[in-house]
Amino acid sequence: MNTLWVVIIAAVIIYLIYNFYAKPIDREVIQADVKKATPAKMYMDGVDFMPTNRNVLFGYHFKSIAAAGPIVGVITAANLWGWLPALLWLMIGVSFIGWASDYSAIVVAVRNDGNSLSAISHRLIAPRTRSIMFIFIFFYLLLIAGAFMGIMASLLAARPDVPFGIIILAIMGFLAGQMLYRWKMDLILVTAIVVIVTLAAMIFGPIGATPKLDTSGKPTGAISWVGPINSAMVAFNGAIDKISGGNALLTVTDPTAADPRVPAPGADGKRVSTSVYDAATGTIKTLPSYLFWVLFLLVFAYLSATLPIWRFAQPVNYIGFWITLLTIGFSAIGAVLAPFIKPAIGAFALDAVKPLTWVPVASKAWQPLWPMLFVTIACGAISGWHALFGSIGTARQLEYETDALPVGGGAMFTENTLALLSLVAVSIAGTGGGAGRFAAGVGSLLTVVFGDGFKLLGTALGFGAFMVIVLTVTQLIFRVMRVTLSEWVGDALPALKNMHVSTIVSMVLTVALVLTGTWVYLWQMFGAANQLMAALSLLIVTVWLKQQKRNPAFVLWPMIFMYITTLAATLITARNLYVTIVPLGGVEAAGAWAMVIISALLFVAAILIGWDGYQAYQGFAKGGGKAKKAAPAAAD
Amino acid sequence: MKHDEVQSREKPNRWQAIRDFMYGMFGMEIASHAIEMRASMESLFMLTTVGDMIGIPVLPPYYSLRLLPFVLPQIATWKRRVLREREFTDEHDYHLDGL
Repeated sequence: MNTLWVVIIAAVIIYLIYNFYAKPIDREVIQADVKKATPAKMYMDGVDFMPTNRNVLFGYHFKSIAAAGPIVGVITAANLWGWLPALLWLMIGVSFIGWASDYSAIVVAVRNDGNSLSAISHRLIAPRTRSIMFIFIFFYLLLIAGAFMGIMASLLAARPDVPFGIIILAIMGFLAGQMLYRWKMDLILVTAIVVIVTLAAMIFGPIGATPKLDTSGKPTGAISWVGPINSAMVAFNGAIDKISGGNALLTVTDPTAADPRVPAPGADGKRVSTSVYDAATGTIKTLPSYLFWVLFLLVFAYLSATLPIWRFAQPVNYIGFWITLLTIGFSAIGAVLAPFIKPAIGAFALDAVKPLTWVPVASKAWQPLWPMLFVTIACGAISGWHALFGSIGTARQLEYETDALPVGGGAMFTENTLALLSLVAVSIAGTGGGAGRFAAGVGSLLTVVFGDGFKLLGTALGFGAFMVIVLTVTQLIFRVMRVTLSEWVGDALPALKNMHVSTIVSMVLTVALVLTGTWVYLWQMFGAANQLMAALSLLIVTVWLKQQKRNPAFVLWPMIFMYITTLAATLITARNLYVTIVPLGGVEAAGAWAMVIISALLFVAAILIGWDGYQAYQGFAKGGGKAKKAAPAAAD
Repeated sequence: MKHDEVQSREKPNRWQAIRDFMYGMFGMEIASHAIEMRASMESLFMLTTVGDMIGIPVLPPYYSLRLLPFVLPQIATWKRRVLREREFTDEHDYHLDGL
């Protein structure tokens, strides 16, 4: 297998599915009509409702859905199960579930006066569905914030070539906001300045570092940090660690070994002890430098969450998107050219299928392919967040009904290619784990374009791009989290209506998960919550199609599959936590119990929504009940 | 819609399509947010001048009537915007991208 085959397989499948499955559904089931007025035209207010060209909207929708999700999930899944299961799920998922979810969420909002999914569910299914979705969204955000903060802090502490670029990114974010909105400078000039400076900082980070060689002159995989910036970072981390005399502040255990602080196994399959990892006991040490980087990220996110969005969060996102696009774009060129120019780089080094980690041993974690793969890879195959966003953003700007498929479905297929590129990057890298494997893969692909001398810089850029992708999402998560928290419990606890209080409460909860949780479990629980949200959006569309007396099969079966799969995954993750971490006691047990309780809450919430949805569906199927009570706005 | 308009939508200029796509990815978020910020200021102005139209009298009707010719074009969209049921997720400030 090589990179070119992935490109060919993806192109053929996407072409066939789009033209021979998606288009007929758009034409015959949804009956999209170019002459029918969309909410953007009917309620145009120049702000939220605004008819927008479909190419512009396609770019906007793609930018809104594509970033960390499709990259992180694929990296995690490929490391757990190998590249083949990940490739199969990505292609099958996007073909039969992903595009249908994104597209149908936009369509149902367009046909319901541009109302959001939660408003439609309130009217179409049950009033409590809307309240339950608030709870869902909050815990969903908490889990993803914990997962992302954990992996970023580990990377910043472990890779001295990465922090410099991120610090410069923060400074450039402030500067870009000032230049654009206060000094009214030209967007192209601002873009050129801030993107070039940030990229340069990311490339300067590793300069001077050299790979360590063994006695025979072969690289050992370790790096000597002797460059001006990276050696300064090593000294800085060391100085902070002296606060505790180099001793751990607390220790945690990761049964999945996916924490970036756990070193990759050597050729003999064994891991070696490092300053933060004890190979004999498998414990990870949390040193003061790790806490420092957690604090750095919290300050970064706090500024994003509380300052006006134009001042910091939006410019950082803007710069971040350029960095990501350039890195991923050149990597994609490398992936296409590699089989012709450097076949050794284009060949997959990762196992196609790893020995299944489905070990029915009572005391060990279970990671069966079903259902865990289907929640580990969420975005890229299917994502509930896309549906939520599509219903409130894109649906209100759709110029013609017939644009829903190229915009919603098309953007989902394009996001799938981003996930495939991540899979390619991970699969061609022979060593490392998780983000390290992704960065090494990106570094290799960039050497195809820029030459062999770019390997170390390309790898640093891979790490930098990964960090930027995750960081830009994380900063927005706290912004959304604080407002969700104040909407949800602000009436009962008025103090939470204060944005600083709600931000700090959100951050404290997240830090508790970061320090006591396990990265992969957090990610998988986030994936389960995300996929459950997708199942719920498909449920809303199914009920709506039934109300409209149309065939809901294209969303009904995906909904049933995702619903059962994600409920099962939630239970298994809770069981894994209970079996592997709760018995350890101490802070780890507290974190594990918190996650078990969250998963129980999500499970009960999903059951309630599922039951309400089933009753609404039955009501419409019989032509009575809900069908008669439906509000006029819910009609087609 | 006229037939030729539909036809022109079927065969877009490729370079223009790419430019539109790039604008959608990079510029639209910033433009939308700027429009939203301006709209919130305009809403405040409209509320103080013609708030009595939605049951919130702020200025005496004399001044509202003096200002009416200037704000008339915006009244329909303004009323639609402020009277619509909204959620926090509607605002660009709380859009979460990338998941």
